[in-house]
Amino acid sequence: MTADKVAERLKKKLPVPYTEWLPEKVRRNVGKWVDRKYHGYGIIEHISATGDRIFTVKVGTPPNFRLSTDTLKKFVDIADTLGIGGIKITRNGNLEILTDSLDKALKIKEEVEKMGFPVGGWGPTLWSINSCTAFLTCTTAVVDAPSITKVLYDHLKPYFTGEVKLPAKLRINVSGCPSACGGFTTDINIVGHYGDAPTYDPERIKLCLPKSAKALEMGHVPEVAEVCPTGAIRVFGKPDGTVGLEVIRPKCIACGRCRDVCDWIDFDQSKAGVAILIGGKASNTGRGPLPSIQVIPWIPAIPPDYREIVAVVKKIIDLWRENAREGERIGDWMARVGLEQFYKMLNIPVTKWNKPVTLTGEFGFRQFGPI
Amino acid sequence: MEVKQQRPLTVEEWAAEGMELLKYYEKGPWPSHVSELKKTKYPIEAYAAGLAARKTMWAAGSAKIRYVYTGFIARRTRDGKISELHFRVWQPSGYLYSTEKLKKLIEFTEKYGLGLIELAGQQGQMIISIRPEVADEAVDYLRDVVGTDVGATGDTIREIAACVGPALCEYSLYDTLEARDKFLTHPKIYEWMSNQLFPFKFKAKFSGCPFDCTRAVHRADFGFIGVWEGAPEVDQEAFRRKVEAGEVDPEKLAANCPSGAITWDNERKELRIDGTRCKKSMHCIRTAFPAIKPGKNRKIAIVVGGHVKGRFGGKMGKPLAVVNSVDEAMDWVVKTVESWMEHMEKGVVKHKDRIGDFIMKVGFKKYVNEILGLKEVGKPSLHPSLRAGAVLDDEERKMYAAWASKIVEEVFGRRA
Repeated sequence: MTADKVAERLKKKLPVPYTEWLPEKVRRNVGKWVDRKYHGYGIIEHISATGDRIFTVKVGTPPNFRLSTDTLKKFVDIADTLGIGGIKITRNGNLEILTDSLDKALKIKEEVEKMGFPVGGWGPTLWSINSCTAFLTCTTAVVDAPSITKVLYDHLKPYFTGEVKLPAKLRINVSGCPSACGGFTTDINIVGHYGDAPTYDPERIKLCLPKSAKALEMGHVPEVAEVCPTGAIRVFGKPDGTVGLEVIRPKCIACGRCRDVCDWIDFDQSKAGVAILIGGKASNTGRGPLPSIQVIPWIPAIPPDYREIVAVVKKIIDLWRENAREGERIGDWMARVGLEQFYKMLNIPVTKWNKPVTLTGEFGFRQFGPI
Repeated sequence: MEVKQQRPLTVEEWAAEGMELLKYYEKGPWPSHVSELKKTKYPIEAYAAGLAARKTMWAAGSAKIRYVYTGFIARRTRDGKISELHFRVWQPSGYLYSTEKLKKLIEFTEKYGLGLIELAGQQGQMIISIRPEVADEAVDYLRDVVGTDVGATGDTIREIAACVGPALCEYSLYDTLEARDKFLTHPKIYEWMSNQLFPFKFKAKFSGCPFDCTRAVHRADFGFIGVWEGAPEVDQEAFRRKVEAGEVDPEKLAANCPSGAITWDNERKELRIDGTRCKKSMHCIRTAFPAIKPGKNRKIAIVVGGHVKGRFGGKMGKPLAVVNSVDEAMDWVVKTVESWMEHMEKGVVKHKDRIGDFIMKVGFKKYVNEILGLKEVGKPSLHPSLRAGAVLDDEERKMYAAWASKIVEEVFGRRA
């Protein structure tokens, strides 16, 4: 291979234009859709001005959306034989198979259910549980998100398929560490964290520190200390000329930024647990976009069955089902009844980490005023 | 405080126990990730060991692929025994694939990878596990045969998300897919995406309507959300038909409008929507579509500085401008990124400061007025910093554990 050819890699080859990737029937109808109908909770029909109709079947996927090519090939097969040769992957890792009649859509549903994959996730249902990679790939995960997700999905499957009705859309996100790769805009966010200030391996931490105290005198701050948002990590020169590190516990917020940049910042894994944040949403429905709020700062995360997490999530969903009005997402419900009322219902102990707050103001483009 | 390891943290030491644990996740009604992984050549022992040790086995690894500086993730286990390589692959706008293209990706995975595909990463990119020894060759195959490329990792332009937009949605108010294509091929963006020159990652998201399916409001440094001016458009005739057919209850529709902008004139059988009050919640539109549609005068609202991962906690996007097309905003994107990089050179912005952190440091007003040379058109709402975590002492930990076990009892009953 010539060097020039390899150097070409500096210019990314982008999958543009997107139309080249579309199944033919979709390409014909781009921008022409005029109406939609729902057929249960897992099939949606789009009607085009050209008279074409496309039925989409939404399929739930395993935690962290990982599929073997064996399984994916089976889906591709179904999309070819019963569908129009198109598959859409959603941002939340669900897989949607496109077809052109309700009969075929129902057959697709039957086929994927035979494979052990559920169909559902539109309307007032559990849309998806978004899981980060955690112990599958990640270097900073504190708890294992995919296994928590699997256990939650096993318990909440009837909410996905629509067998049990919810007041409105529900999204859950499980993140293995406070970086919260799933974001804070889902209704229930489960985020793994240390539950304590970090500790460190006294020998290996030296790999993240300058060798001699002289570097500190020159004004160099090692990244492990510099990255701390609250100044809870102090580095100092020792009398013998080496560098020491101290974690100032009262300042620490357990965010884990230090661990992102230094592998040898460590923690006591017996204290690891999850925080639960609720009420986040991105959509402009109801009260508009809302940031989620940490209501439970810590509960234990114990594999394999994660009973505490499942119980608390189920309890929150039950309360929401009993008390919310139709169409009210958890954040909207919370905004109406107030966080303090919610705390009372669940009898949650309050510490400085979960003081009830009231959100004032509106988010998203509502910040512009009337448009 | 020093941690003493009871057992060495090696895959070998923990794998057997972990493989037992994994069996638990092959049962149950939901499709199992473990069963899927077991069908592939994925080194599942490392995952198993992590689960048993309750600590991730992975540490940062390294890989060298000539002239590729972003887009792959290399990992090795802490004991150095197993290594892994993931390719983040650019998805087409909308993530809509013809099976023909998907088959090519599957062929690619089987030829160079472990037979494992992660359909959507946290940003929507496709992730494919690759055998490290063939990675160099794999890049060319991906480029030449599949027609896409390794995506983005690190401090650069990351996967840009667009909702399905006009390809399969009636509500889409602008062509989000074309906008994403154009954004990615913008000369500056295109130049930046091959290297990691930024303080931290950069994301943009394109949502076609106020439902904001890509969550542009919170998860994008630049979020472009379709919106219309004034009131939704009501086809009174079609609406009356829906009312007569019993599909829509007009009184309920008006009562449930979150903006309080709707009144139903029962005598004239007319629905009135006050455009000055409408907050674009989409409530009436999704209830009575297509009799009620978004208004004709379509715009794009831009929110800036939203993010999750950043030094000072997550932020919601701040209001920047309402424009007619994404092109109008490209200069602002370029100016923002350049200024963000300049401020890093000056030492104001630190490594791992997102654009939201940068705006927080220089001040929103100053950012809009002086850096972009614009007038503010909106005022950001305040919220507490979005973060999770707590530093608890043993007493507090016991208190929450006791509370949780009470809830376990309530939900599952007392353990026998």
